Amino acid sequence: MNVTSAKVLIIVPAFNESGNIARSIKDIQKYNHPFDILVIDDGSKDKTVQEALEAGARVVSLPFNLGIGGAVQTGFQYALEHGYDIAVQMDGDGQHDASFLVKLITPILEGQADMVIGSRFIEDNGGFKSSFSRRLGIRFFVRLIDALTGLNISDPTSGFRAHNQKIITAFADNYPQDFPEPEAIVVAKRLGGRISEVAVLMRKREGGQSSIGQLKSIYYMFKVTFAICLHMIRSRESR
Amino acid sequence: MNIHFLAILLSSLMFLFVVDLVRRHKLTFKYALAWLLVSAAGVFFAVFHKFLFKLAGFLGFELPSNFIFFTLFCVFLFLSLVLTVFLCQQNNRNDTMAQKIALLEFEIKQIKQNLSKYSPSQKQ
Repeated sequence: MNVTSAKVLIIVPAFNESGNIARSIKDIQKYNHPFDILVIDDGSKDKTVQEALEAGARVVSLPFNLGIGGAVQTGFQYALEHGYDIAVQMDGDGQHDASFLVKLITPILEGQADMVIGSRFIEDNGGFKSSFSRRLGIRFFVRLIDALTGLNISDPTSGFRAHNQKIITAFADNYPQDFPEPEAIVVAKRLGGRISEVAVLMRKREGGQSSIGQLKSIYYMFKVTFAICLHMIRSRESR
Repeated sequence: MNIHFLAILLSSLMFLFVVDLVRRHKLTFKYALAWLLVSAAGVFFAVFHKFLFKLAGFLGFELPSNFIFFTLFCVFLFLSLVLTVFLCQQNNRNDTMAQKIALLEFEIKQIKQNLSKYSPSQKQ
């Protein structure tokens, strides 16, 4: 497979991203890749759908808010149904830089990986690295995933990632709900997926707010840790 | 009114109420089963209260009332856990349906668009 022959879907989950979504879509389009862009509107109350459609994306609109996990999973279901070779998850808030798309899918095109994560921390190349407390949380997940699976992932919370058909099929059926990123890595690993990382730059959010606030982040730390530990004692067959 | 009579009356009403809910299709049997068993046990112990006292004594409760409170507490704890399981199941099904609906709606819109391309005269 190469960049032009592979059928690639860019899944953009969006919840109330009016003002950002069109820019994010145009950012992808300006490189003229033959990629399809699918915005999953997660029950937005603003003009996200209208702006995404006007920008030329396909839009699947969930009837109510499912959270990021449910939204991204809808994208995987679409990718599976329509026989895509690769599904890329990319945020609709302008954080992720579309110039890294080809770099992100290259390990899959070359058959080197089943899932590729765009990492902010591989190279110290400037770019936005997130706040101090957030980085502490990220380091915790790095250690946890390493201890439990032996995988060395430098940016487990990154939502900029690519998946091949094997992972698409699994995630369409079963994908972690709220704050799914670190957990999804463990799920993919448990399914025998080969996971790799490439260095990317991220931008600071331009508008909207992160889906994770102060108190909630403590809840998520606990929730994700618990979920990841559960995956380790769950038998492979029952998944 | 004596307490024994009151206990029998209330537990019987509870049991009949659950049966009536099932009869009127307000409760399906699957979800009513736990309540039927609990209220039937209530009637049983109200009628044969001597047995209740004996059982409490056998298990080492100093007062039969402690035994009743303890049993009720355990029953409700279990019932609420079962209800939470049902709730999660419903929640998952809801989410799956929302995803299915969203994807189907998208496909329908695509088909409509394609149709209107081929027969623009019929477009209203």
